[in-house]
Parts: sequence; C-alpha cells; structure tokens
Amino acid sequence: MSTLLFLIGEAFVNLRRNALVATGAILAVFVSLALAFGALVFNELVRVNTLQWQEGDHLIIFLKDEGGPVAHSELLSQINDYPEVKNAWYLDKAGAYQEFLEIYSDQPALAATVTAADLPASIRVELEDISTYQEVQFRLVGHPLLRRLSVFSEGIERLLSLTGVLNSIGIGLVVLMGASAVVLIANTIRMAIYARREEIAIMKLVGAGNWFIRVPFIIEGATVGLLGGGLAAAAVFASHNLLERIPTDILIRFQADQGFLLSRAILILAFGGLAGFIGSSLGLRRFLRV
Amino acid sequence: MIRLHNVAKVYDGGVVAVQEVSMDVRKGEFVFLVGPSGSGKSTLIRMCLREEKATRGKIWVAGKDITKLPTWRVPYLRRTVGTIFQDFKLLPTKTVAENVAFALKVTGCPRSIVRRQVNTVLELVGLSAKTDRYPRQLSGGEQQRVSIARAFVNRPPILLADEPTGNLDPATSVGIMRLLDRINRTGTTVMMATHDFAIVDAMRRRVVQLDRGRVVRDQSGSGYESSDET
Repeated sequence: MSTLLFLIGEAFVNLRRNALVATGAILAVFVSLALAFGALVFNELVRVNTLQWQEGDHLIIFLKDEGGPVAHSELLSQINDYPEVKNAWYLDKAGAYQEFLEIYSDQPALAATVTAADLPASIRVELEDISTYQEVQFRLVGHPLLRRLSVFSEGIERLLSLTGVLNSIGIGLVVLMGASAVVLIANTIRMAIYARREEIAIMKLVGAGNWFIRVPFIIEGATVGLLGGGLAAAAVFASHNLLERIPTDILIRFQADQGFLLSRAILILAFGGLAGFIGSSLGLRRFLRV
Repeated sequence: MIRLHNVAKVYDGGVVAVQEVSMDVRKGEFVFLVGPSGSGKSTLIRMCLREEKATRGKIWVAGKDITKLPTWRVPYLRRTVGTIFQDFKLLPTKTVAENVAFALKVTGCPRSIVRRQVNTVLELVGLSAKTDRYPRQLSGGEQQRVSIARAFVNRPPILLADEPTGNLDPATSVGIMRLLDRINRTGTTVMMATHDFAIVDAMRRRVVQLDRGRVVRDQSGSGYESSDET
C-alpha cells in the first residue's frame, strides 16, 4: 500500500515537474477527443433527426374535392389494402386546417388569409419499407381523385444515404482522433522519459523493477488522458447546450438524449484514460530494457 | 561470493574488453581491481551487475549464475549488490534521505523500517545533519557518502565500487576509503576498481591487476605495483 502511494506521489511530482509538456499533451488530447466526441454526437443528431422523419408520413396523397368524403373513404380502404402500406389514415379539410394553423402558428397573418375550404383533404401513408414508395406512386398515377402526391421518402432516402456517409466520416474521425490521442500521449511520455533517462538508469541500478519505474509514468499518462477527456466531454456538453437553444422549427433539431451524452462522455473519459495507459506503455518500452 | 570463470566480453564491432578472466572473491574480502584505462575494470564490474552480458564464460554473484539470470530477475540481483560510481549517480530531484530511501522503497520495504534504516545509515556516513539537502547542495565527498549510504542501506552482502574516489581530492578520498573499510569490516565483500595507487598502497589488500582485458596479477596484501617489483 505504501509502495502504491509512493508511486502515485511520484507520478504527480513528475506531472508538476513537466507541467508545460503535460499541459500541451492535455490540450492536444482535449482537441482530439472533443472532435471524436463531437463526431459521435453529430452522428446521433443525424440519426435522431432522420428517425423523426422516418416515423412521420412517408406519402401524402392530396385529394380532389370531387366525390367528397365517401369517395375519399373508398380510396382510403383501397390504399390500406396495398401490401406496401403499413398504415393509412384520412385527414379531412378541418384536420388539414388545424395542421396548417399548428405549422404556421408563428405567422398569424398568413393563417388569417387561409380557411379550411382552401385546403385539400389528404390520405397519409406509412409504408412497411420506405424504398417501396415508387410502387404505391405507380398504383395511384392517373387516379381521378388524385390532386398531388407528395413523396417524403425521396428526401428521407437522400438523407439516409447522407447519414450513411456522415456516419462513416464520423467513425473515421473517431478512430483517427482516438489514435492521434494515443500517439500524442505516447510522445509526451517519451519526452518526459527522455528527459529523465539518467534517473531511470539510476533507478534500475539500485534494483528498481520495470513495473516500479513504469507505474508512475502510466499514472501520469492516464491522468493526462483523463484530464484531456474530461475537458473534451465538458466542451461537448457546453456546445450541445448552446446548440439546443437554436429554434427548433428549422430542419434539424440539435437535441441529443442526455443519457446518450452522459454514456458517451463516460466512454470518452475511459478512452482518454486508456489512451494514456497505452500511450505511456508504448513510450516506455525502449527505456526499460535491462 | 563473486566467481568468474573464463569470462570474456566482446563488444559490437569486435572490441575485446575482457578475455579469459577467472577469479574468486571470498565472503568479506576487499579486492582492488587496478590497471590502466581500457584494461577492462569497469566492464568487469558492469558484468557483475548484469549491466553487460558476458560474451563467454560464467559469473556467479552471491551464489547465483548471473549469466543465466532471466531479465526479470536482474532487479533482484541488484538489490543484493550495492554499487558506487565515480559520478555518484544520485537522483537530482530527491533529497539525501529520499535518495537513500529509494533503494529500500524499490524492495517494497515498509515506511517505518525505511525511516529507521535511512537514519542509521546516514549517521554511519556522517550526513545525519544534511538529510533534507539536495545533491546539488552537497560537496563531491558528501555526494559520494550519500551514494555509499544508498548502496549500503539494505545491507547487501556485496559492494561494487567503480572509481569511487575518481572525482575527489586526496583528503576526501581517504575519508571515503575509511568508510568503505568500515563497511568491509561488517562482513560485506567489497570489489573496487581504481586508478588511485596511493589508496591501494595504503590499504594493502588483495589486488587484481588487469591489462588489455586479462588478469596479469592477483596478489593478496599488495600495493598498486607488484610486490615482486618493489
């Protein structure tokens, strides 16, 4: 126990003696891990936003007024029978007006110029598989009640493919930044060791084992990694809180789940510590040969 | 206590430092290794510490064949052999007491025992008033005393000294030699490489003379030069 306390003490004495180098390493790890953490959060935001769209209406079939609710109801039951359709429901003119008022609640002047009679009734369709939207579209082309078909799936598909690219870039960034954090810590520890190589040689001469020499450096590296990871987590939390305040009626909502943020922050912290451990272990190898 | 059998050391590039050296140092003996620069004295000491590996031959230290010692056991060997160097090799960021304590801490010795042992040995070397000084605040002689204290603090059966008086003036050297003599009288085997003929002549102990890596003289109660020549 007293040996462990001695080694921890040695680690913090080393950190104090190499304050400038250690600060540089902490900042470098902070930048790397903040970018990695930022990429994780960005991926989550893209996923959450596309999920919101996916859960919404895939197709909106705007209907002509001819035939009235009876004809509309017949078409609704036909659509519900399509194998591609998971669910379809009818939104009459009053419902459409209500939705319009909700969407344009911040623009009362516009709302005042529109009445329920101006808006078409519609059938909202949720598909089993969004990639089948073209089949449904094909079935409805030329239908006498069809006023216009709005296909949200096209946008979703584009977004999903974009999400795939963004995810790959994000994962690439996470891996790259993680690796750079390890290299940075390894380099810092190497510099610290190089500056103290004579001391290490003396320690070995008086019978210090490799672990006795290694442990303070590993604690030093892990502390640098944890501090850098902690700063990165704090910075991403702060940035997320700022982004959350952006009005939510624009295309993307900058709101990730707090549980997600917390779990990833812990992951980043753990990664920082691990990067420090691996980095310092790598940095020490050359100097511990007997 | 130390036994060498047909030991040779050839460095990379074919430089022969030691060749066919055989000698036996008994428990409690005080042996001087003498000879000109490059004769192989320091290499011999470094091989006994496993800082260098012998190219050929066998070396036993404290009963163990260290030529077969696995790397992970080397620190344990070094804890049974105290070492003193010309350049003191003290940790500059540690105080006198911390430097001495370090040799015990690496063995996992409890703090209370470390404190007691350090105080005792610093008293022995006459530095109990300077425990909180850093090496840079001490004279050469005092630094070498700290180095001796560190080498002796865990009561090793063997003490190896490589030119311990090489950086010291004659008067200070005498003090250091008296200290080594006192340690030797406690039963510790001492093997010391030196150029200092005055010390060797004054102490009249066993002298092993090396020349170009070979033992050319091994004589008890001798001076720096062969008794036959004087």
